[in-house]
Amino acid sequence: MTDLLHHARVSRGQFLRMMGGLAAATLATTACSTRPDTTATTGGGEAATELKFIGVADQKTPMDELAAAYRKAVPAVRVTASYAPTDQVQTSLRTQLGAGNAPDLHVVYPGNGSAMSMSQIAGAGLLADLSQQAWTGTIPAGFKPAFQLDGKTYLYSAGSSVIGAVYNKKVFEQAGIDAPPATWTEFLGVCEKLKKAGVTPIALGAQTPWVTQLITYALVPSTVYAKDPSFDDKQLAGQAGFAGSGWQQAMEMYLELQKRGYFNDKPNGTTFEQQTSMVATGKAAMAIQVSAVLPDFRKAASSPDDLSMFPVPGADDPAQVWIPAGVVVGLGASAKGRNVEQAKAFIDFLGRQENVNAWAKAIAAIPLTQDANSAIDPAVESFLPFTKDRAVPFMDQRWPNAEVQPVHFAVVQELLAGDSTIGEALKKMDEAYRK
Amino acid sequence: MRRTFLLEIVMIVAAVAFLFPVYTLVVLSLKDPAQISQTPLAPPAPPTLDNFTAAWSAAALGPSLVNSTVITAVSLAALIALGSFAAYFLARVQTRLGYGLYVLFLLGIVLPFQLGMIPLYELVSDLGLIGTHAGMVLFYTGVQLPFTVFLYTGFIRALPREYASAAQIDGASHLVAFTRVVFPLLRPITGTVLILNAVFIWNDFFTPLVYLGGSGYETVPVSVFAYVGQYVSQHGLVFAGLVLGALPIVLVFLALQRYVIKGFASGLKG
Amino acid sequence: MTPVTAGRARPARVRRRRFTPASPSWLFAAPALAVYALIVLYPALAGVVYAFTDWSGIGREMSFVGLANFRTLLGDEQAMGSIGNTLLLTVAIVLVQNGVGLLLALGVHARLKSRALLRVIFFAPVVVSPVMVAFLWKYIYNPDPSSGLNGLLGLRVDWLGDPSVALWSIAGMVVWQYAGYSMVIFLAGLEGVPRELHEAAMIDGAGTWQRFRYVTWPLLAPAVTINLMLSTIGGLKLFDQVFAATGGGPGYATETLSTVLYKQAFVFGKFGYSTAVALVLALFVAAVSFVQVYYLRSREVSA
Repeated sequence: MTDLLHHARVSRGQFLRMMGGLAAATLATTACSTRPDTTATTGGGEAATELKFIGVADQKTPMDELAAAYRKAVPAVRVTASYAPTDQVQTSLRTQLGAGNAPDLHVVYPGNGSAMSMSQIAGAGLLADLSQQAWTGTIPAGFKPAFQLDGKTYLYSAGSSVIGAVYNKKVFEQAGIDAPPATWTEFLGVCEKLKKAGVTPIALGAQTPWVTQLITYALVPSTVYAKDPSFDDKQLAGQAGFAGSGWQQAMEMYLELQKRGYFNDKPNGTTFEQQTSMVATGKAAMAIQVSAVLPDFRKAASSPDDLSMFPVPGADDPAQVWIPAGVVVGLGASAKGRNVEQAKAFIDFLGRQENVNAWAKAIAAIPLTQDANSAIDPAVESFLPFTKDRAVPFMDQRWPNAEVQPVHFAVVQELLAGDSTIGEALKKMDEAYRK
Repeated sequence: MRRTFLLEIVMIVAAVAFLFPVYTLVVLSLKDPAQISQTPLAPPAPPTLDNFTAAWSAAALGPSLVNSTVITAVSLAALIALGSFAAYFLARVQTRLGYGLYVLFLLGIVLPFQLGMIPLYELVSDLGLIGTHAGMVLFYTGVQLPFTVFLYTGFIRALPREYASAAQIDGASHLVAFTRVVFPLLRPITGTVLILNAVFIWNDFFTPLVYLGGSGYETVPVSVFAYVGQYVSQHGLVFAGLVLGALPIVLVFLALQRYVIKGFASGLKG
Repeated sequence: MTPVTAGRARPARVRRRRFTPASPSWLFAAPALAVYALIVLYPALAGVVYAFTDWSGIGREMSFVGLANFRTLLGDEQAMGSIGNTLLLTVAIVLVQNGVGLLLALGVHARLKSRALLRVIFFAPVVVSPVMVAFLWKYIYNPDPSSGLNGLLGLRVDWLGDPSVALWSIAGMVVWQYAGYSMVIFLAGLEGVPRELHEAAMIDGAGTWQRFRYVTWPLLAPAVTINLMLSTIGGLKLFDQVFAATGGGPGYATETLSTVLYKQAFVFGKFGYSTAVALVLALFVAAVSFVQVYYLRSREVSA
């Protein structure tokens, strides 16, 4: 239907003439006269190609750094980046993709399960195939579903992040806790000690929707996947559902933490920002969070070195404790862009080991592939023993549509508010899953 | 007299209560993180400007201020020119067709922006105006025209026709009568139109994000929220960013407040 | 919130005059019509078509599904629930914003020494971006008993986190921002009330309330119409503030038609369905505005 427009394409000049009068004249002059001289500031001479990148705020630090490095390596190409909070980027990009005018490079979420995920965008034919690039050959087998659709790679991501407890070591010491818990019972014991010591054991910022899912995600690997590693496949085949699975148990554990008073008062009214500052300032001992936000916690803390992470033990048998480790948000090249080849070349550059290392370091991620120079954030070291065979990708990355995740957010808020039951919640998630 | 005094006290109390959010905003932007968590409500002691210097350099607001100003100013000029001319016709025309045209303009007021979002983006992109000031000006002129036309038409209808008629008896055309006689009479409503459109255009966040993101022509709200998204958990820095983002339009409002409130009101009397 | 209002729409009557010049040429309206048609009408018409498709919002794949999206809407619990929230929120905003606006207007209309300053204070929030206001209020509404609104009032309310309170908290935030807007419109109305009328009523022995009820109030009718229109359309279309404050949560407690259609389009990837919701919202707003204007205008005549 938009073809109507494509057939009757009006050139810019004709159009402006058609508008006539004062408005058009003013438009034209301002458009020309205010164009800033971009080349003067960079000092690298004329940039032949400008690659536009649109990303989420979390990507700013690594992207700015690597775009500058690329500018040095390839002076003819300049990457201009813009960032905004996730929701806004999603809206803006979907509009641009929908209108068939995507930026050369843009944020892409790994796997499936969100409107900006690799599977959904690549499935619509809008992402360039990266499979020819050398770095794609080194993607670990377990991560392939996050990067690939039908055997072709469409996503670049520098590595993986884990979900666990971000905790304040000082606060733990003051409460007389010398080692992080290794089983669920120990975990409850630690919370009890912290509560007795007068601090909030777990800060939960459930007002911010995406935060609601993290505790379930931290527990489900142990309650579901440790028992049945092929749960995802069964669920996709319709042989299993949220209801009647280990999800039930994970939700019960989630609510047990609330019932025992281990969360801050009124988690549904508390935002991610407040959650962060509670842990950073020691008002709360820990927060169950994704390691990618460690930089946020550190920025807010007066002594960032006090912060570390440990895996949340979702089972009483240490061998049954599994962790969630997901590929971090990455980027892709637009298949329909004007500069597909240059955009792909930039991604190839990002795929070099030293650049994977740099990106991973900036967001405290575990680099996708490692060499002698790979630095692993000390805070996530305790997760490394799990990553080989006791780790599962974030659950939504294999969900078939983008509706399940928002339903998960909503039902957790309803459960925390006491407005729903676990049975109803899982039923709603199953309904969304089958849509 | 005593009653006026009592009323004055009541109104001042109401104003102070009304200012509480502003107080919170300013006070937090002047505090370091320790003060924010320990004494969130108290005045800053001592106040620090660190948040502002950090926010100013990180958010790169300088170029954004220029972009916002250019886009807002040119859009306003276009809106006033196109809107007042159209309204003159719509207010004076006496045919059913003219009335239908007026209703057609009003339709633009009730349409949710999401309806035409993607086709509009395609259009602006086909015109080669994505990432340009001109594209934004065109967008705002179109989107704000219905409201502008509505305000002008209502006001012109209430004007006695005799002014223009007198000019026309002297042999002036409608064009001359409008620009020389009628338009100057529209000053009050032009004030209202200016204010409402300026507030909307300056503050709009979503459209410039979609149309200008990554172009180097970002407006103030886009820069502020890119910055805010970075420092979410540091309220002092975030609030300093918000203060900087809101300051230009608040300052303009304060400088022109007499005209703004008067102009706004007198334009809507008719 | 786009400041919006609807028309004092009535065909201009042909009046007999000694000299009636021909109407201005339609060329006066042509440039505006061209821009309006291009930027608003054409995209909206092109967009409406999507309401009858299953388009995801990206890619070229889509097929026509007839009225299926509208049938889905009728059975969509969440969307239907959001209609209720939309109406509650609108009614709350319309009543409180205009009530407060009227009281403020009456207050600053009196001969107070500080009235110029008071006007500025009450109107100032109008000029600030609604998204920024929502950001600020999110902090003010934080549940911590020692900061924000709770700290000020010594309360322990979970403003945005309690499903039974959140919707009203959003209304409060909107009222704070736009009460000054209503106030200024009422002020314009009050300034149009001739002093002689008040003086005459006083001589007749009318008290303050009686003077308000029988002199001021009827003459305020046009201001009331404009204010009700503005706040009703604004309330029905409200999106930025709800989305920034709660995103529709906790659960679905503050989901409105605008947030539902947003999520369908940009989060769930159901652009076709979202357009159907947008279309319903547009018809809804148009119908409510029409009825309201019709009723209020007839009241103005009889007053």
